[in-house]
Amino acid sequence: MTQTDTVSSEQEDLRLLRESARTLFERAGGSGRARKLRDADGGFDPKMVRELAEAGVFGVAVPEDQGGLGMGLAAGGVIAEEAGRVIAPEPVVLTIGLSLGLLRRLCPEHPKMAQLIGGEISLAVAWQERGPGGAPANATCRYADGRLTGSKAWVVGATGSHGFLVVAKGDDGPVLVLAEADADGLVTTRRAQADGSSLGELSFSGIPAAELASGDAVQAALAEAVADATALAAAELVGLSECAFEITLDYIKTREQFDKPIGSFQVIQHRAVDLNVMCEVAQAGVREVLALMDRETDQKVRAQLASRAKARAVTTAKRITRDAVQLHGAVGYTDEFDIGLYLNRALVLSAWLGDDAYHRRIWFDAREAEGAAQ
Amino acid sequence: MTDWNATSDADFRKEVRQFFEAEYPEELRHLPHRPKFAEIEHWHRKLHAKGWVAPAWPAEYGGMGLNAAKLLIFYEEQQRWGVNRGRDMGVQMVGPLIIKFGTQEQKDYWLPRILSCEDIWCQGYSEPGAGSDLANLRTRAEIDGGEFVINGQKIWTTMAHDATHIFMLVRTDPDAPKKQQGISFLLAPMDQPGVEVRTITTLSGETEFCEVFFDNARTPSENLVGELNKGWTMAKALLSFERIFIGSPSLAQNALGQLESFARGRGAFDDPVFRDRFAQAALDVEDHAALYARFADQLKRGETLGADVSMLKIWVTECFQRITELMIEAAGPDGGTIGPLQVGNVSVDVLASFYKARPTTIYGGSNEIQRNILSKAVLGLPG
Ligand SMILES: Cc1cc2nc3c(=O)[nH]c(=O)nc-3n(C[C@H](O)[C@H](O)[C@H](O)COP(=O)(O)OP(=O)(O)OC[C@H]3O[C@@H](n4cnc5c(N)ncnc54)[C@H](O)[C@@H]3O)c2cc1C
Repeated sequence: MTQTDTVSSEQEDLRLLRESARTLFERAGGSGRARKLRDADGGFDPKMVRELAEAGVFGVAVPEDQGGLGMGLAAGGVIAEEAGRVIAPEPVVLTIGLSLGLLRRLCPEHPKMAQLIGGEISLAVAWQERGPGGAPANATCRYADGRLTGSKAWVVGATGSHGFLVVAKGDDGPVLVLAEADADGLVTTRRAQADGSSLGELSFSGIPAAELASGDAVQAALAEAVADATALAAAELVGLSECAFEITLDYIKTREQFDKPIGSFQVIQHRAVDLNVMCEVAQAGVREVLALMDRETDQKVRAQLASRAKARAVTTAKRITRDAVQLHGAVGYTDEFDIGLYLNRALVLSAWLGDDAYHRRIWFDAREAEGAAQ
Repeated sequence: MTDWNATSDADFRKEVRQFFEAEYPEELRHLPHRPKFAEIEHWHRKLHAKGWVAPAWPAEYGGMGLNAAKLLIFYEEQQRWGVNRGRDMGVQMVGPLIIKFGTQEQKDYWLPRILSCEDIWCQGYSEPGAGSDLANLRTRAEIDGGEFVINGQKIWTTMAHDATHIFMLVRTDPDAPKKQQGISFLLAPMDQPGVEVRTITTLSGETEFCEVFFDNARTPSENLVGELNKGWTMAKALLSFERIFIGSPSLAQNALGQLESFARGRGAFDDPVFRDRFAQAALDVEDHAALYARFADQLKRGETLGADVSMLKIWVTECFQRITELMIEAAGPDGGTIGPLQVGNVSVDVLASFYKARPTTIYGGSNEIQRNILSKAVLGLPG
């Protein structure tokens, strides 16, 4: 199937959304823009965030009565795929999936909702903590009397965000609080990532923070938002993989060795076909997952679906970007050629919210648990 | 001069190990990047004083004169202790070529300078239009009085920005009936107006390789090694040695060691799937080493290696890549993080290993090209 076929088999509203998102990203400079931002300071472009907001991007999955477009995760996936194609550094999945995912479920009336949808601000979500061996551990971060103490790890979007949505332990169970980025006593350590972005490690020494929600609803909303973001990150990887494949296809058609295009060697042709098949399988799988998640209400089933999507997308993106470098030869190993940007972005998106091995494990465990329950 | 080959393997290993452990600077162990000469100069001096710069060269040229068995031990120990190979293109590539094909004057002049690193070499083979199809190279060298005048461009020249000399394949007869004919092997100084070096940044942000432009660059005609227009055959003669070197288990073994300590520290072995994948990688490395030993034995018996040596490179480079991919998996949410990751008292630069593994299937004859060689020259498939 060609690109246009897949696009035209989509629902009309999603197709239009895809077209406008693609135009917007392309007009802004495509993958060249990502390179410029990386070389500048590794952050994202707040102006682009506002432009995306004007196109309705951040509110796509927010219900209409909460100020969004009410188009569901499937529409979020369209945006994520398009962001992935141009490896846009803006917090698209972070905002649609995590920050708005939490707020719309816990406090849809909060003024930050409208600001996020309007692209006026972006908020990072701090929910994981590092254990002794360096691996994720249970939350110990404390919130009491309006003050937050403890630390959080692996915070995506810590650079450039206006504040943090922090999941902490309150006096009566879990709480979601909002800490401003410039709060006194908030220390952010940045760990540089392969794609030029950074992961934040936050430490709070009794910093002021405002409680947004508390109780079991916080855990439930977090699980839902993480599932949403996981599936959307999968969609971003699908878009990234497709574009990496297209770049490679162009290259093997034009690069000549032994007096012919290297794409005329059968071994290269078969490799290209395999990569293309992988791409199509991943796109079909991930889009189906997003559509199913829109209809499904059982949190466990939604989480399992998200795992299915991320497992597939990570496997695909890793394989495609690595083979793409190989098929480019030495130029593929340079920074000058875009394909390396895709490889690096794939590394970061794969590690975020769990890689393929992790999600296959989660998927299987969920399947077993479901079997046992029946 | 010590006849190392008369020493028992065990004693030799002990001696090499002791020297590395006592003398090799701790901060240079397992360097994640290719060092510039200045960074390792101090170590090179020690090695030079000891007479250990060129383990494979015959003793008469200042080498250690090691036979294949001792050589493997030397490399194993070097690897085990994380001793950097240094700027070894002179020792590994030009030196052996000069020893085999050079004149007495060339040997007397160049070899001591290679050993002392007075000259630091880079390899100028590839060009923009001549990668896998190396014979397609276009850089011209024309005789003008007592000199060759060089015009053209080389690319992917590793560490050219930190080299004093380049050994290169150049076209000296553009009218030869076959591309492989009319190519010569030349040595040229880099420090001259006609040579311009531009570094190329890799996708991991390193500057390891370069473009080298020649605009009426000059080199004395006595810097031709071997016969005019016979460079291709000579370069090929070096290849089988290069291929066993590039197919040696060391990179994969080293990475496996790093993977093991990292995965253990991270608790990755709690997962039976990860254990299985690790075991697979470990066995891939072990059995490759057995195959490698078979080829090494051939060398020890003084036989020349056949085209089948290519299988070593295919196996070990792909295995190396899988091992570094497992490191990333073990790193979990830190899998996209640049720089060393600390677990307990070890620190492992997961991404550096991953990046290092990527081009091993591209350089030294890409793995696709190696497979072509095996299918034709070993399996006898038509085409
Ligand atoms: C890190 C690094 C260091 C290097 N250092 C040096 C150096 O110091 N000096 C130097 O001279 N060179 C160096 N090289 C260059 C290296 O030798 C070339 O990259 C290599 O020969 C491949 O050429 P290419 O990059 O032009 O790829 P291409 O030849 O363009 O190949 C592109 C892709 O096509 C495939 N392909 C090509 N032909 C065929 C075929 N017939 N059948 C099937 N597949 C095919 C290749 O396998 C590859 O996947 C270095 C390269 C790298 C990556």
